[in-house]
Amino acid sequence: MLNRLVKKTLSISAIVIAIIVLGGFAYIEIGSNRATPITDFSAPFVFGQFRVPEDNPLTDEAVELGRRLFYDVRLSGNNEVSCATCHRQQLAFTDGRQTAIGVSGKALALNSMSLANLMWGPRHFFWNGRVTSLEEQALVPIQHADEMDQSLAELVDELKADSQYKSLFSVAYGRITNENIAKALASFQRTLISSDSKYDKYLRGEATLTEQENLGRKLFVAHPDVKASLRGGNCIDCHSQFLTSGFNTLYDGFSNNGLDSEEDLLPGLEEVTQIRAHRGLFKVPTLRNIALTAPYMHDGRFATLEQVLDHYNEGIKMSSTLSPLIAEADNSTKGVVTQASLNLTEHEKTAIIAFLHTLTDRQFIAEEKFSNPFD
Amino acid sequence: MITTHRFTFYTVLVSMSLVLTSCSSEQDSNEESKAIVLLRGLPTLDTNHSIAIVALDPESENFGEILQEFEFADYAMPLHHLYYSPTGRLYATGLDPQCSLAEVDLARDASGAPVINGVECIDTEGQQVGEDIIWHNVNGTDYMIVSFMAGTGIDQSDGGSIGIFDPQSNAVLRIIEARKSTVGEGDPYIMYPHGLSAYGDRMVVTSTIHADLATGVGNSVTIIDLNTFTPIQTITIEDAQPVGFPSSPVEVLFLRPSIVAGIEPTVFVNTMFGFETWKIPYDESNKSFGEPEIIYSGVDEGTGVPLEFYGNDTELFISHAIPGVVKRYQLSSLPELVSSGPDLEAGLGAHHMIFYATESGRQVIAIQNNLLNLGNADDNDPTDIDFIAKVNDHSITVHDLETGEKLATVNFKERYRKGIANVESLFGSGFVHHH
Ligand code: HEC
Ligand code: HEC
Repeated sequence: MLNRLVKKTLSISAIVIAIIVLGGFAYIEIGSNRATPITDFSAPFVFGQFRVPEDNPLTDEAVELGRRLFYDVRLSGNNEVSCATCHRQQLAFTDGRQTAIGVSGKALALNSMSLANLMWGPRHFFWNGRVTSLEEQALVPIQHADEMDQSLAELVDELKADSQYKSLFSVAYGRITNENIAKALASFQRTLISSDSKYDKYLRGEATLTEQENLGRKLFVAHPDVKASLRGGNCIDCHSQFLTSGFNTLYDGFSNNGLDSEEDLLPGLEEVTQIRAHRGLFKVPTLRNIALTAPYMHDGRFATLEQVLDHYNEGIKMSSTLSPLIAEADNSTKGVVTQASLNLTEHEKTAIIAFLHTLTDRQFIAEEKFSNPFD
Repeated sequence: MITTHRFTFYTVLVSMSLVLTSCSSEQDSNEESKAIVLLRGLPTLDTNHSIAIVALDPESENFGEILQEFEFADYAMPLHHLYYSPTGRLYATGLDPQCSLAEVDLARDASGAPVINGVECIDTEGQQVGEDIIWHNVNGTDYMIVSFMAGTGIDQSDGGSIGIFDPQSNAVLRIIEARKSTVGEGDPYIMYPHGLSAYGDRMVVTSTIHADLATGVGNSVTIIDLNTFTPIQTITIEDAQPVGFPSSPVEVLFLRPSIVAGIEPTVFVNTMFGFETWKIPYDESNKSFGEPEIIYSGVDEGTGVPLEFYGNDTELFISHAIPGVVKRYQLSSLPELVSSGPDLEAGLGAHHMIFYATESGRQVIAIQNNLLNLGNADDNDPTDIDFIAKVNDHSITVHDLETGEKLATVNFKERYRKGIANVESLFGSGFVHHH
């Protein structure tokens, strides 16, 4: 009798295991709750490997919850500002301002950053790289006096009073906690993948670039070599080929691109590492959707891409931490160099700008899954 | 235009579960040390040809493990060689007449792990038995150029063609064909083409062996003018016949300033049955090729069946299937062959190779040891194809680049009952091309 019971239990569990296996592991356990591993996911191979924290795997429920939180003004003290106030989808999750403005109405010191392809590129967030995960990042603006000015304890209470959040959290993570709020926001942001620009289509063989765009692409990826008659804009030395973001090993994705001279250098990465050689180094941002994310640089000093190109071509300011990649890149064939300059022609600058426009991903800014769920 | 090949649902399911079981442990390992390989089902062992992702970090517990496998149940012959395009697309040439050229669809799953989503055969307009692929820009236009050893029909005794493709759409733009029997006496011809290498508007293609490995063997290289896509000169590359066959030039490398700074462009050719490496000087000013000269003799040095040229920033590597070694030379001394270290003792059939770093940062080279599953006929082994010597060890050996020490070996025949036909880096150094 007992024997038969054991056998039966065994065969039932075998069936259960079989169903789980055949169902492609439809369910995974997270805490005491069941969430569905993300169903509609794909990322380009060429973007490279990425890592999702083991304690916060991508699930449909976490992403849905994160999306709600991202657009919810209740995350701010005055219930007027959400993450999306400064990270608007139609501007590739930037805000169009020189520097961001939050609940206090005071202009912040820095330009809002685009939120695209955050799983790749430097594993440090913010212009100076002061946090190392999206989970850690998410709670910063919420508590910042000028950004959202919300106490986390209050926020948790507010969310607990909302039955919809209660059930969303319960499936996605279990309890409503600071940590789980951060995890959900991080999960949503991880899904903000921009990979359907004209450039992506070109890489996949689905589109051809115009002659001008292709010249721009070639200049973008070439380090000038006068001896080999190779003209280049040098951009790829910092903005990697496929992602256009900075490199991901350690602090390779941070550099000083010559915006300021020695006396005006802000601390930048030095603030985080306390290393003098890191003074004035900032995160190399992605250039995806760059035509939509003006104004440019950490302080939003440039209003147009023309100004950006003029900077790289003839506006480099010398300092002790200026990237050697910029200091030595020169297309000029004549004489002594007194000033770091790419010496590109107008025609070449325009071509690089034309190429930068191929990085605009209309699908990304129209994508329903990334839009405001309260609309 | 493009013929799509879809694989059975069963195969997909099997490979899916393989991915899922392995990805969690894989998350933190370095991707550079994963390789993509072409595996070959072996006669009498009842195994299928496939493309697979394999872990190759000798410091990792999962060394030699297949992380994902995509099988081709209905192909008689396997895919042949893998190549990454400059835009990061993965292509494979193929030996099966149903699929002589293919594009591999790679993506990433939600854990970041690479996945093979499928393989799409490309319409070659009848060209068969794909060998090498190069991407080359001529007069401002980018091309994908492929050699087809059987040309427009494996039944032709002197067949062979070069396909010029649009690298965006994969469409055939033109086919270069010049069969010996159709061109005039003494005119340049293309026969059994295999190795390809180009510099500026000149491309060199070798004449190797009929795709059935029986009908005929070549002994020359032909120069193609890429302005007009026409053959302009055939140069005989032959000296001693150590095994009584024509020399069978196989891989070719047009050494050029982008590979070796300041070098006078020079062509290197390996002769599979001549056991030699030849040098053909090139005069760029008048675009003429000089007298070919032997710079390495396998008969003198005790090696046979030289195959591939690979390079990194400092060295040139040449594989010799017999006795299964890779010889290494100083890049800066080229076109002279100046040794840069002792031979890497790989395995019988030493062939393709990749370079990467281990988890701890050790620089290594992985060598794939097998040529077309050719075994020694005297061995009467039913799992191989009879040949004059055994060149099918079916292993990948991993060696420390600095010390030359062999760190690890995975034998695919012993472990998976399959042969190993090709290896390419999955990512990272995989974008380095070997021609
Ligand atoms: C008041 C405007 C404002 C609000 C509100 C705001 N951000 Fe930001 N965000 C910024 C600015 C400005 C930066 C750059 C700040 C810095 O480097 O110190 C930034 C940076 C980031 C980054 C770093 C991106 C990178 O590539 O390093 C992430 C991620 C981010 N914000 C997510 C969020 C989330 C999630 C919320 C809501 C919880 C939010 N932001 C709310 C303005 C805002
Ligand atoms: C030495 C590394 C380096 C090189 C080379 C380089 N960049 Fe940058 N780029 C950066 C850094 C760092 C930033 C952010 C600087 C800051 O705000 O302090 C940046 C910012 C930008 C921005 C503004 C992005 C934004 O979101 O505000 C654009 C546009 C840009 N670069 C384009 C280019 C182009 C085009 C080239 C080639 C002509 C190029 N970069 C070459 C490092 C580099």
